[in-house]
Amino acid sequence: MSNAGYILRARAIEKTYTMGRTRLDVLRGVDLEVSEGEWVAVLGASGSGKSTLLHLLGGLDRPGGGAIEFRGSPLGTMGRAELDRYRAASVGFVFQFYHLLPELRVLQNVTLGAMVRHGRIGFRGETRRAAEARARELLEAFGLGNRLGHRPKELSGGERQRVAIARALVNDPPVLLADEPTGNLDRRTGESIVDAIEARRRAGGLTIVMVTHDERIAARADRVVRLVDGLVEPEGDPAGIVSVPAGSE
Amino acid sequence: MYQAVLTRRYLTSKIMPLLAMAAVTLSVGTVLVTWSVMGGFLETLLNSGRGLIGDVKVSWPNTGFPYYEELIEDLEADPMVTAAAPVIETFGLISLADDRVLGVTIRGIEGESFARVTTYDESIWWRPIDEPLPRDDARSDPRLGNQGYFASTDWAEIERNGLTLSERDGRGAAVPGIHVSDWNIRTPAGTYQPAPPLRVTPEGEEELLNIWLPDDALTMHVMPIDSSGRGVRVVTRTIPVANEFKTDIFEIDSRTVLARLDVLQEMLNMQAEGAQTIEEGSGGFEIDEDGELVRVPATVVATAPARVTDVIVRGEIGPGETETVALKERVRAIYEAFAARHRGEVPPAGAVRVLSWRDLNRTQIAAVQNETGLVLFIFGLVCFTTVFLVLAIFWSMISEKTRDIGVLRALGASTAGVTWLWLRYGALLGAVGGLLGLAVAWMIVSNINAIHDWMGVNLGLKIWDPSVYYFVEIPEDLDATKAIVVVVAGVSTCLLGAAIPALRAGLLDPVRALRFE
Repeated sequence: MSNAGYILRARAIEKTYTMGRTRLDVLRGVDLEVSEGEWVAVLGASGSGKSTLLHLLGGLDRPGGGAIEFRGSPLGTMGRAELDRYRAASVGFVFQFYHLLPELRVLQNVTLGAMVRHGRIGFRGETRRAAEARARELLEAFGLGNRLGHRPKELSGGERQRVAIARALVNDPPVLLADEPTGNLDRRTGESIVDAIEARRRAGGLTIVMVTHDERIAARADRVVRLVDGLVEPEGDPAGIVSVPAGSE
Repeated sequence: MYQAVLTRRYLTSKIMPLLAMAAVTLSVGTVLVTWSVMGGFLETLLNSGRGLIGDVKVSWPNTGFPYYEELIEDLEADPMVTAAAPVIETFGLISLADDRVLGVTIRGIEGESFARVTTYDESIWWRPIDEPLPRDDARSDPRLGNQGYFASTDWAEIERNGLTLSERDGRGAAVPGIHVSDWNIRTPAGTYQPAPPLRVTPEGEEELLNIWLPDDALTMHVMPIDSSGRGVRVVTRTIPVANEFKTDIFEIDSRTVLARLDVLQEMLNMQAEGAQTIEEGSGGFEIDEDGELVRVPATVVATAPARVTDVIVRGEIGPGETETVALKERVRAIYEAFAARHRGEVPPAGAVRVLSWRDLNRTQIAAVQNETGLVLFIFGLVCFTTVFLVLAIFWSMISEKTRDIGVLRALGASTAGVTWLWLRYGALLGAVGGLLGLAVAWMIVSNINAIHDWMGVNLGLKIWDPSVYYFVEIPEDLDATKAIVVVVAGVSTCLLGAAIPALRAGLLDPVRALRFE
């Protein structure tokens, strides 16, 4: 099968967690293909394996079976260091509970991703100035230009999530993996967050895989996949895949 | 880079690690103070031991040996030897004006030669000084010449008398240690205030004697011994006191009296005797009772040269043990040649004792070294608990920061990067704690005598008893090498304590870390 056009491709992904004597098959052969610039929403009940799938796509975890490819390169053959570089440069994570580092100010939280990516030697001079300029630009774009020196505890939930998105995008990754980014926010704030993400996608051709419970937000994606019992429901299933053509929302 | 930012932030925003830092500060401070004091104690012992007896001593502590001037010439002709001096060392009693009688070591010396071998000239206490001692803010030192009775004292003459052990009129004098008489009170500033002694009268009343020892006299009682080692009689002589000396070793300062060599030689029958007729005779011939012509022995006239019990030697060497041993062997060889020239007149080389200053102080040095080692070991062991404290605090912190670690891993941080974050944090805590400990130790050690005196006055605590620890003052020097070693040990302690939690942080499963609640 050709990889042309797919930025992420997961084939027959399996993941099992073992807790004592209990085996929990979270993913049981998931296939997923995500095209460059596509926005895929992943819907599913709690425990259906949505976050696990996201972690596997982001190289935070390794599947028990199957293979994941990023632009044709299998993550399974990558060593630890290569996987670290993949996470630093190719994907950006957004979490439901923001996970900002409370000790750092807003600007430092956003540039943290660039610090990790470039390391002690690399994050200086022009690289540092460029990263900080990018962080400022993102925060300005998200309406947080006047909050650079604040600590996370001084921000509202929506503001914190926007900072988290800016952090995920500071290295300009091609893929954004968002794990219920609006799950902890009221509807209006949640929609403003999705607006912010979509704006960045329009600006730079970002590929988005977003796990959500919210059908309304899912409806704004190019395509929706549903995970049920560790499997992607086949297209055409009555309760299955909702396929929404890009630009029709 | 992120490690630097986060460690800086953690350092100023967390309370618990500050406790670990405080533990390092206390540990470093405690060990450094202990090591400095005990090390300074040992150093003072070594310096004082060498300063008071020179490097090597040739000793025949019975009736002494003659021709010592010749031996000294031989010794001083050797390139390894800087100077040599004659000494008589004996035990005796002294009586003071307050009627106290004390058992002391009496050393007969020639001021000038003794000062060339030892640091005697530096130990003379009563001398003119222009500036007060560093802690004497009140300028209470009588030697400054600004106090009533002492304002008119000729301090230069007092010093000169001390160095020559002579009075102005040429009489031989004594120079006791500053603590022999108990008539001097040491002040917290390190000066001595003369305190007029009390005497109990025959009527049982106390009488205040308005005297100062260098203006007074003492009576020495010594016992010369004959060639078989038996005491002949007790010889008593009252001699003026010229000055007092202070070596900083309490044992010496409280139990030693120096007297001019010729005075002690006379008292001990060790002085040079002029020609004495041993046997009368014409030296010619005479006819005996049987009518035989016999030779009559001539008159025998004998001279007895002056004797000393010791010759002390200063070498062109450092304080190292190897150099000291080499000098000792050289001195022994010189004595062997000297004894060969005076066979039958001086003790044979195998009989005299040739000892280095290390030999003479070996017991004390070993005791102090062992004591220092033991104290450091115990304190080190106590301070090692800091490792576990740091470990517990870091373990707890890393549990608290699990989700942040997951975020860092999600952002691409490596296992090594996260491990280094916590190791670096441990090192930073250790470095800051260690430097603070160094500052605390420096402040304590620099003022330890003042602190000790304050505790004595205000709390009634007297930890440092000079009669137990030999020294009058607690050593106040903080050695740079020791400081570096202890601060590095403090940093290592923190690193050791942080190592296991740091590794745990680095190896955390990022997914579990992100889901941690």
